[in-house]
Amino acid sequence: MSAYPNSHNPFADDDEEEESRSFPKRGFNFDDDPEESSMSPAERRQKQLQREVMRTAQSAVDSSFRSLGHIYESEKIGAETAEELVRQGEALKRTERMIDNMEQDMRTSQRHINTIKSVWGGMVNYFKGKPEPAKPAEKEQPPAYQGNSRLQNALAESKEQEDKYQASHPNLRRLDTSGKVLTVNYMVPSKWHICFGASAAPDNTLSDHNGLPKNKQLRNAHQQLDRNLDEMCVGLDRLKNLGLGLQAEIDDQDVSLDSLLNKVDSMDGKISSTNRQLKNLK
Amino acid sequence: MDNSGKEKEAMQLMAEADKKVKSSGSFLGGMFGGNHKVEDACEMYARAANMFKMAKNWSAAGNAFCQAARLHMQMQNKLDSATSFVDAGNAYKKADPQEAINCLNAAIDIYTDMGRFTIAAKHHMTIAEIYESELVDIEKAIAHFEQAADYYKGEESNSSANKCLLKVGSYSAQLEQYPKAIEIFEQVAGSTMDNPLLKYNAKEYFWKAALCHFIVDELNAKLAIEKYEGMFPAFSDSRECKLLKKLLEAHEEQNSEAFTEAVKEFDSISRLDQWQTTMLLRIKKTIQGDGGDLK
Repeated sequence: MSAYPNSHNPFADDDEEEESRSFPKRGFNFDDDPEESSMSPAERRQKQLQREVMRTAQSAVDSSFRSLGHIYESEKIGAETAEELVRQGEALKRTERMIDNMEQDMRTSQRHINTIKSVWGGMVNYFKGKPEPAKPAEKEQPPAYQGNSRLQNALAESKEQEDKYQASHPNLRRLDTSGKVLTVNYMVPSKWHICFGASAAPDNTLSDHNGLPKNKQLRNAHQQLDRNLDEMCVGLDRLKNLGLGLQAEIDDQDVSLDSLLNKVDSMDGKISSTNRQLKNLK
Repeated sequence: MDNSGKEKEAMQLMAEADKKVKSSGSFLGGMFGGNHKVEDACEMYARAANMFKMAKNWSAAGNAFCQAARLHMQMQNKLDSATSFVDAGNAYKKADPQEAINCLNAAIDIYTDMGRFTIAAKHHMTIAEIYESELVDIEKAIAHFEQAADYYKGEESNSSANKCLLKVGSYSAQLEQYPKAIEIFEQVAGSTMDNPLLKYNAKEYFWKAALCHFIVDELNAKLAIEKYEGMFPAFSDSRECKLLKKLLEAHEEQNSEAFTEAVKEFDSISRLDQWQTTMLLRIKKTIQGDGGDLK
């Protein structure tokens, strides 16, 4: 075996590379190299597989860290969006109030124009009576704007769902009790059992030790992965609630935008008709 | 080519408008519809200003708008005057920030006089942003943001008020006015933590407040964290809280390596922004300051 790494397909030849490089570096204890030359092919193969497993586990851990980072970033962006949305909602409410004010003023000016146009108009006004006073309390002290509170329900609902899900999920029954060093099968039950925890706990402690590989490094990697997945679970839950809240808020604002549009259109009509009347007055 | 032509036109209009104003000042002009002339002059100033804008001659445009605004004041058209001042401010923003601020201040005075606080607050924010970016006078920026926040609060626009308050808080902390910053952050966090949509950011504000406590005194920080956890249980789950506890430990043991390690770990998952990094560096200095000046 040469000391130079093979140049084609780096992924496939990684193991051969390591083995071939391990020969010149006798003093390096990293892979128990002095023993390797004396091992049987089966043992060598096992070592190879172990290394590969370590690598896979490590890359899974790294990727889970990255995902965690992304989740937190999304949450941050979502939270900032939420703030902007609430601010916008406040602005919309303010606009609506002002439009109502304008309408009030327009009515008053219409009355004045009627009076000016003709004596008869003035008398009609007298009989029509004053225009309605300001709309109820909201003109006096505008209420503080509250974001949508549907979220509370969403939260309560999702907690309920969790319980039901936990009871019925098939994975919680099928726990991996084999002693094989496999990454995939092992990951799934442990993730669920950490996330939803209660009912599966007693069964798990036993299979935990059987399911977890004996190799300490690997065990650490898996534990780290579990912790990260746990965090991701919680984070995704929060993201979901945030998303639902945002959606509810946007729906509300949609409705108020529509009503605002109508009001502004009618206001526009009134203003142009008033302008025309004023021109005719001259 | 087109633009320089516009500029000449604009100059012509300005000259005409000036003449009109002068003529309306004279006795006869005043008698025979002086107001009419002044109005025309206003309009001409506005048109001239727009043409200057097209020619990208910002200071001339600003000047023209200012003239128009003053004429409107003369005619007691407060609203028009204020809008012209705002236009002037916008034009000056690109050329002469100081003039822009003057114009905007004039506009704000008119608006507050009329009781239109929301729009006055908006302009305070604009001024504060100019101080933030172009003239870099943090103290004045803080003053204007504070004013804007007060006006917004008065008009029950709490979200906008919070936005301004947060800026005040960050800048105060930068200028080492920690008690003020702490109070602001706690206040904002307290008001947002109940709102179902805004509570996701509440932990961020608690984290900032705790950082400021930390710089002042470690014990304060500990008490503060306990208080926040009581007020807002979700805070204790957050990674920021965990980082704070690790930092407190490192600080107690005067171990700046553990400190850096914890910060790096946090940073690897979610980046720390400029402000937070500055605060953390200050805290780190207090560790090194006590532990010796080797580093």
